[in-house]
Amino acid sequence: MNVDQTTLPKKYHDAVLHWQRHHFPDYGLLPENWHKYFPNDPEFCLCAKMEVGMGDTIEVGDQKGQPRMLRPSEMSEDQGRHLLAIIRAQASTEFGSIQQHEVTLSRAQEDEDRFWVLRVMAEELRHGYQMFYMLTSQDWSGVTDQSAEDMVEEILSMRTGSHVLDAFNVDYDSFVDNVVFAAVIDRVGKYQLAMQKVCAYKPFAQSMPPMLREEAFHLAAGVVPLRRWVQRAAQGYELVTLNAIQRSLNKWVPRGLEMFGHEKGGDSNIRFGFKNLKNLEAQSQYYDELHKVVADLNQRYVRARVPRLSPEEAESLVSRLLADRSKSEGISWDDLLTLPDRRYFRRKGEPAWTMIGTRAETFDDVDAYVRHLAQTLPDPYLHSRDMRQYVETLRDVIAGRTTPEQAMKKMPNLKRVGGVCPCSKSVRWVVEEPEPAREPAA
Amino acid sequence: MNSAPGAVQIRPLSDLDLGRITAIDERLTGVYKPDVWERRVVYYLRRDPEACPVALIDGKVVGFIFTDLRSGEFGLEEVCGWIERFGVDPDYQGRSIGRRLFEAAQAYLQSQGATVLRTLVGPEDGDLAGFLRAVGFQNAPLQALEMKIS
Repeated sequence: MNVDQTTLPKKYHDAVLHWQRHHFPDYGLLPENWHKYFPNDPEFCLCAKMEVGMGDTIEVGDQKGQPRMLRPSEMSEDQGRHLLAIIRAQASTEFGSIQQHEVTLSRAQEDEDRFWVLRVMAEELRHGYQMFYMLTSQDWSGVTDQSAEDMVEEILSMRTGSHVLDAFNVDYDSFVDNVVFAAVIDRVGKYQLAMQKVCAYKPFAQSMPPMLREEAFHLAAGVVPLRRWVQRAAQGYELVTLNAIQRSLNKWVPRGLEMFGHEKGGDSNIRFGFKNLKNLEAQSQYYDELHKVVADLNQRYVRARVPRLSPEEAESLVSRLLADRSKSEGISWDDLLTLPDRRYFRRKGEPAWTMIGTRAETFDDVDAYVRHLAQTLPDPYLHSRDMRQYVETLRDVIAGRTTPEQAMKKMPNLKRVGGVCPCSKSVRWVVEEPEPAREPAA
Repeated sequence: MNSAPGAVQIRPLSDLDLGRITAIDERLTGVYKPDVWERRVVYYLRRDPEACPVALIDGKVVGFIFTDLRSGEFGLEEVCGWIERFGVDPDYQGRSIGRRLFEAAQAYLQSQGATVLRTLVGPEDGDLAGFLRAVGFQNAPLQALEMKIS
């Protein structure tokens, strides 16, 4: 593979490992079981990987055709600030998803599913490490007053509830969420990484191909267990139902759509040469792709229920059942999975706070909409802090006590915490090495 | 990315291709094996999706080739691209889709440092052997040996 590997300076490398001990205690199980679950695969490496051989010319935006930039100081101040925000948000998502996965990881019914997610988590740790390499290997002082140490410190101090993007502030309710999250939210990651491959800042562009290769497995670690579950559900297995999967899809798809940013935005990313698609364009492609995932799961379900059908017959039956809302071959249209309407349960972007149902129904009454949410979201999630805040804010918006714009800024309720490590031995994640003692001059 | 109707598009393997790859194999072998293909596709996604191009026509996957880059096997130290799985939907054969897939895989493996491509072909796969010879494969000096142990 044409990739250069490098490690962070010791103080940052140690900070990541220190964070891992607190937030990712299962990490040590991975090397012990690697050859059982991933035979022939190269060992996992906690390091930054930079693709070799990427082009030197900017591909999109105002500087298209000019040489790619190698240092933050070569960017305009606006560009630098914008890219720094992207890198920090990306880093936050990587560490955030590990914190979410860890809570329900041990509840997996199958060891293979658990070790697949464990590998996903380890690779997310590597992606976070990669973003730290972006933050610490170059001088960003032209666009921020924060030192590299403080930027790393701030990201490592975030918890579920204080991350930059909403999807990473929502707790998992069961292992169904681990799997649906990999299929739905990691898919947004794939889009972001693919768009950022064109980045005008070469070190960031070089970071993308190795991350994208790893992300392909993350999506499979979601989709393949889902395929196996729908097959078992079709054969009468009661412990993972299509209803549980549907509710988890309803929980995560709205957050995935919001990760692309406001539907009207994305111009700056293109102008600065950082991405090649606007927000709505990328979000629409993503939503179409989710339709394909759901269609594939439905076909897997139908073929398990009616094995004599050919692939084409199964595909046609699924389409007919959903189009006519009918029943055939003992399968009803509402036995199947559907993608929630892209305006459903939104708190950011164009359709935020509009009270649209999973099947595009419109609601005028908040209580009726909350009842619809209760019927379509996972039961344990209804009791969460996130849901309570959402419903309270929705009531305020509908009653005119707050505007949709103010409400968008309120969710999630960010509470940034200071750089405090939970263990008693240190108050910071990044611990400065003492200066080496100097030899007396001869 | 949009393309002209009927045009062949090549892109790396993704999780979205599972259903169609299973269906192509079913058309070729007459057996529905979703579990087998889930396992195989996950393996190749873990290894390197770019080394496993798929061909699409009008958005539908119509062919695939799975390859892997390895070195140091059987005492062969050079970086070698192994051609391991290959399939084209019978409805779309005769349109040079296999050749397009092979060329995409070859270009990628070469860009990653491969200096030689290798594969094994069974005596019953005469069509496949003919295709491989047509794209440039020759008999290798190596001989495949096996011993049944159960």
